[in-house]
Amino acid sequence: MRPGVASRRIASACVLGATALLSGAGGALLGLCGPFTDTAADAFCPFVLEIFYLGITTGTTATTYSPDGNVTRLQMAAFLSRSVDRSLARGGRRAALNQFWTPQNGGVLGIAPLDFIPTWIESDGTDVWVPATDGTEVWRIRGSDLKFVENWLGVANARGIVIAAGKVFVSGYATPGALYRIDPTLPAGLADTVATNLGSGPAFLTFDGGRVWSANNGGSVSIVTPGTSLPWTVTTVTVGGTTGVLFDGSNVWATDANGGKLLKFDAAGAVLQTVTVGGGPQIPVFDGANIWVPNGGSGSISVVRASTGAVLATLTGNGLAIPESAAFDGERILVTNPTTNSVSLWLAAGLIPIGTFSTGANTMPWGSCSDGTRFWLAFNQSPSLARF
Amino acid sequence: MKSFPKHRRLPAILLALAAAGLGAAEAVVATCGPFTDTAADAFCPFVLEIFYLGITTGTTPTTYSPADNVTRLQMAAFLSRTVDGTLKRRGKRAALRQYWTTQNSTVLGLTTVAQSPRFVRYDGADLWVSCSNGISRVRASDGRPLETWTGAPNAAGVLTAIGKVLIAGGGNPGSLYVIDPSQPAGAATTVASNLGNVAIGIAFDGTRVFTANTSGSVSLVTPGASIPWTVTTVSSGFITPTGAVFDGSNVWITDSDAGTLLKLDPSGTVLQTVTVGSNPNFPVFDGTSLWVPNATGSTVSVVRASNGAVLATLTGNGLALPRAAAFDGQRVLVTDSGSDAVSLWKAADLTPLSTIPTGASTSVYAAASDGVSFWITLSNVNKLARF
Repeated sequence: MRPGVASRRIASACVLGATALLSGAGGALLGLCGPFTDTAADAFCPFVLEIFYLGITTGTTATTYSPDGNVTRLQMAAFLSRSVDRSLARGGRRAALNQFWTPQNGGVLGIAPLDFIPTWIESDGTDVWVPATDGTEVWRIRGSDLKFVENWLGVANARGIVIAAGKVFVSGYATPGALYRIDPTLPAGLADTVATNLGSGPAFLTFDGGRVWSANNGGSVSIVTPGTSLPWTVTTVTVGGTTGVLFDGSNVWATDANGGKLLKFDAAGAVLQTVTVGGGPQIPVFDGANIWVPNGGSGSISVVRASTGAVLATLTGNGLAIPESAAFDGERILVTNPTTNSVSLWLAAGLIPIGTFSTGANTMPWGSCSDGTRFWLAFNQSPSLARF
Repeated sequence: MKSFPKHRRLPAILLALAAAGLGAAEAVVATCGPFTDTAADAFCPFVLEIFYLGITTGTTPTTYSPADNVTRLQMAAFLSRTVDGTLKRRGKRAALRQYWTTQNSTVLGLTTVAQSPRFVRYDGADLWVSCSNGISRVRASDGRPLETWTGAPNAAGVLTAIGKVLIAGGGNPGSLYVIDPSQPAGAATTVASNLGNVAIGIAFDGTRVFTANTSGSVSLVTPGASIPWTVTTVSSGFITPTGAVFDGSNVWITDSDAGTLLKLDPSGTVLQTVTVGSNPNFPVFDGTSLWVPNATGSTVSVVRASNGAVLATLTGNGLALPRAAAFDGQRVLVTDSGSDAVSLWKAADLTPLSTIPTGASTSVYAAASDGVSFWITLSNVNKLARF
């Protein structure tokens, strides 16, 4: 049993009640409010019952809620934590689709065969887009049934991908690097080349609402500003050997695999903050509050608060081998372990390990993303995508 | 190095203390994450979760003060952060790594639709756009135009309900058109042609279709097994009905010349009149409140649906002849028809986020959300734009 889950269940049995939210309720006459004999069946009762039915409280005993009792900060933590967990579990699309399971092994994954070895993938919410690593095409796989939809040509040395501004952008992993644009509103055909002067080795892409950013393995970050005519303007800033890049809603962050750093940039590409993480940080993901950084060189995950840059935790265990990429589905974090043909999962809100799951022999899961319901994996050893 | 799983282990003595009802502060003081005053007991994971989520930062960097009570003021901060954090994570934008806000018109995703698009509605997969010469269907995932339906002259408000697409026809008299999206594209079916004049706003209450007719009436159309569908038109209490929205309990109508928001009962009788700003147009419901763009007032009235109270009248944030509002689960977008721009707010606390131009002479009109992106109609350039 997962230790975090075990402790929560035990705590559920001993948390004291609360009415700070509902001041005044205790002044009413005693009545019968669900299982609680000390709580009036008045206007506050539905609120008490809701948090009881949701599992946010179990009462102070099986038959009492202690409506006049105060709430300590410790008890409040339990109530708020459970409120978040229940809201996320119910609000997700997995709940509506009755998909509460986690695939337990590689044999139950949905597999979409490809003609090439994939590295990075991205979902538009309906379909998954896959650049042919170092190749000339980009495939589109339908998320609902894993069927091939179309392929786009005209890219060279395809590698990183981001879906933004109604387009699909793919980096050309060369020296200098290139950026290609696919207009998915059109029938499949040739991608447009929008820039050919990015830094060397653009490996991963992100978007900040106005511009495309690339993390370049050659030791730079490029910022591409869309324009009304081609080519688009490119600004390249020299930093360490960046690998992964993301946007947190305010700033762009990139991992420096050589330096073991996570770098925060301002809008011009200047480094605002340097956070020391583990060895060989790879492809991170932002969960709305924190950045999860898989440290390939040290077999760990650094969880960094985006607002301050503080390292909240360094996670080990849970099957982490040489973690490569992270994805977030709104509730869970998935991290790929290519060398052990597995993925590791955590509940994102509490950093609670869920488990490690095999993806099958010789699969080497590398890139990952989520479509909001399921995770998707790029198998770097067998030419395929997997729906996890 | 912090090894988180250790925090999850429960020494037997602490479990015994907890089972006995002793507060954690009374247990052996240990370390819970950064907090030296909080025991590493069964409560610690909860404390850590709200710390990791940013709901609390502790009373100091190293203390949580677990035995302290919570004031109502502190509670407001904790609950507000809890709601914000939950909404941010739960939205599909988080899973798709799309935390950005579109910054300018250059990065709008544009799809060419039929002529002079006005209203747009999402059906869960596709967008339906009413235009002067047809109804365009656009796939939301990639913005690809799928088909165009004809046979809906003076098409105005669009509604997706009962497995169909329903369009208000703003002629004299007004009409209601129905598209069966399971069929190949063709001509829409006219299911009623005796609505009040100039039907424009449209809403559905689970039984009937309501149209707001700017000539001074509201029509209630009851779907039936045969055509024409039954229509009841109510004029009492209306001057210039414009927008219509259903909040889960009642239909609300904006009366643009009266500057009011009207709550209706199921028969179309006015139950409540709320004074809003000047020239209210096409509102949206965010689950709690109605956001009413007041066009000539260049304001947005935020009205609590449960009691009709005006919670706030928003100004600034680029509002200029605001026409229509849309909600994506976290943010409200309002189209500024007077300045070719859109204005964004955080819906939970009415905080202005930004104003973003849609391009010169684009004539932005209405908007919808697919849960990831907003979609806006640009009437002057025949485009549907992904925002």
